[in-house]
Amino acid sequence: MSGPRWKKAKDGKDFSALAAASPMSSIVAELQSSLKRSRPVATISSHGEDAILGVSPHQAILLNQAAFGRFVENAGGEKQWFQLGAEEVFYLCHALKCVVVELESGKQMSEGELWDHLCSASESFPEMYKAYSHLRSKNWVVRSGLQYGTDFIAYRHHPALVHSEFAVVVVPEGAELGGRCGRLKVWSDLLCALRASGSVAKTLLVLTISSSICELGSPDCLEQLFVHERTITRWIAQQCREQRCEPCRVEPSKEEEGHTRETVVLNYWGVILGFTVLSTLLVYKLRF
Amino acid sequence: MAAAPRDRRRRGRTPGAASAAAAEDDGEEHHLNPFLSDEAPSSSRIQFRNVASRARWVEDAGEAEVLDSKGKLWLTTGVTRGGKLYYNVEEIGFLAERGALVLLDDEDETIGLEKIYKKIAGGNYGCSWDAFQAYKHLKVLGYIVGRYGVPWTVKHSGTCEVTDSPKSMADTERCSDRANGACNDITKFLKQMHIDGIYPSFEVHLPNSKFKKSCPGVPIFLLCLLRDKPPSRDELETVENKFEGIPLKFCQVDNGRISFLSFDNVTLPSLP
Repeated sequence: MSGPRWKKAKDGKDFSALAAASPMSSIVAELQSSLKRSRPVATISSHGEDAILGVSPHQAILLNQAAFGRFVENAGGEKQWFQLGAEEVFYLCHALKCVVVELESGKQMSEGELWDHLCSASESFPEMYKAYSHLRSKNWVVRSGLQYGTDFIAYRHHPALVHSEFAVVVVPEGAELGGRCGRLKVWSDLLCALRASGSVAKTLLVLTISSSICELGSPDCLEQLFVHERTITRWIAQQCREQRCEPCRVEPSKEEEGHTRETVVLNYWGVILGFTVLSTLLVYKLRF
Repeated sequence: MAAAPRDRRRRGRTPGAASAAAAEDDGEEHHLNPFLSDEAPSSSRIQFRNVASRARWVEDAGEAEVLDSKGKLWLTTGVTRGGKLYYNVEEIGFLAERGALVLLDDEDETIGLEKIYKKIAGGNYGCSWDAFQAYKHLKVLGYIVGRYGVPWTVKHSGTCEVTDSPKSMADTERCSDRANGACNDITKFLKQMHIDGIYPSFEVHLPNSKFKKSCPGVPIFLLCLLRDKPPSRDELETVENKFEGIPLKFCQVDNGRISFLSFDNVTLPSLP
């Protein structure tokens, strides 16, 4: 796997030091404790997945730094508003336990009810969320990859500091999940995903979510889902070869000629050099 | 073709040129306009050899025994058995296309390209049409490609003997491993047909003017041909477990266009 490509500040230095000074785990921990203290409530749309969350200015800074949600511009007021995606709202609610979610009617939802709501809004929510939380729990920043034709894009830190490393495609597998219209089952789909990720200089990361259980009715099933990581990369035969020697097609007579000529020339100079060295040594010896 | 070098230069100026080039490598096909002239397409890209070697097709073995070998192609092509050189069907196809080989039958009549293509397309001599495309693609770029599991050189003549312990191959164990492989190519191929799942077709070495069949070294990768669907996780894990150590690459052939892919098992690090 190639390393991170850090973006550069105006002074020309890259942001790796800044990222090292503010590890994502501590940003998220601070966000979590701040939200827990104020117990904010997110309102989820009745038939959809998106939720809107109002937070204090300080919490807004932390949400931004941890790259959760999208800031909603508005005229002002005490609260700052963020729009959260399905995986994000469930992560804040279920994994970090720092946000409560309610419907527009005002009825607060338990984690189980929220799970049901999100699963009914999107059939693939279980595997998508498993993939999302798998990466977030390793402190990768995960954003939607839809504009690139993938499920997610994963960053090593905030997208303003570093270019993304992985275009993530989630593939369900197994008894309950395998029946879905999964990705990457035909060549056109796989090569399309590869091309899409390649054109934005990301590696294609395939997260296969397998399940040994048969029911996904509650968030408890998450513990029974397993994530398998695999990258798909394209190897360009021409480029690999060009790294080693002169790029040339097989033109047998030319290739042989070139090699012979090269060898002869090297041998010629080798002889001259050797002769010079030896004769110098000889003269030296004779004189002394 | 004039179009290709110009495109390479243009690509070089754009940011992220390497990745752009990688993405565009199989990008828009450069079409020669067939409406501009009445001439048939010409093979301007292939360098044809002036002098061809000759080989006689041996039906029982499914390969050709080389009668006289010109030039240095034999250093990296064909299998040497008991002092004689043999070309398999993909090697014959590759060399014949380039005018480097004339294939003869028992009566010393020339077997033309059409019949050679038929032998390959039939798939009965250990190489499918798709595998031939992949083989050619790499050979044209100078890679050294051999059938997986087939020794480059066998000391004794005859197909069913194993080489004696390689005193001359002082280097490494891996030389003797290569030489001790099964001798009969076709039997091996037929065995592979019954193996479920993915199996390497070729071993690939970097272009190397010092390549020696007596000690070919470790290939840079083994190439597995993929079929009509992308491999499942199980299939990948199965083949990976069988071939720990040497990198595996997979290729998908679509009407002569080859995609070489790696499906690497990774573990993303936990970040701070």
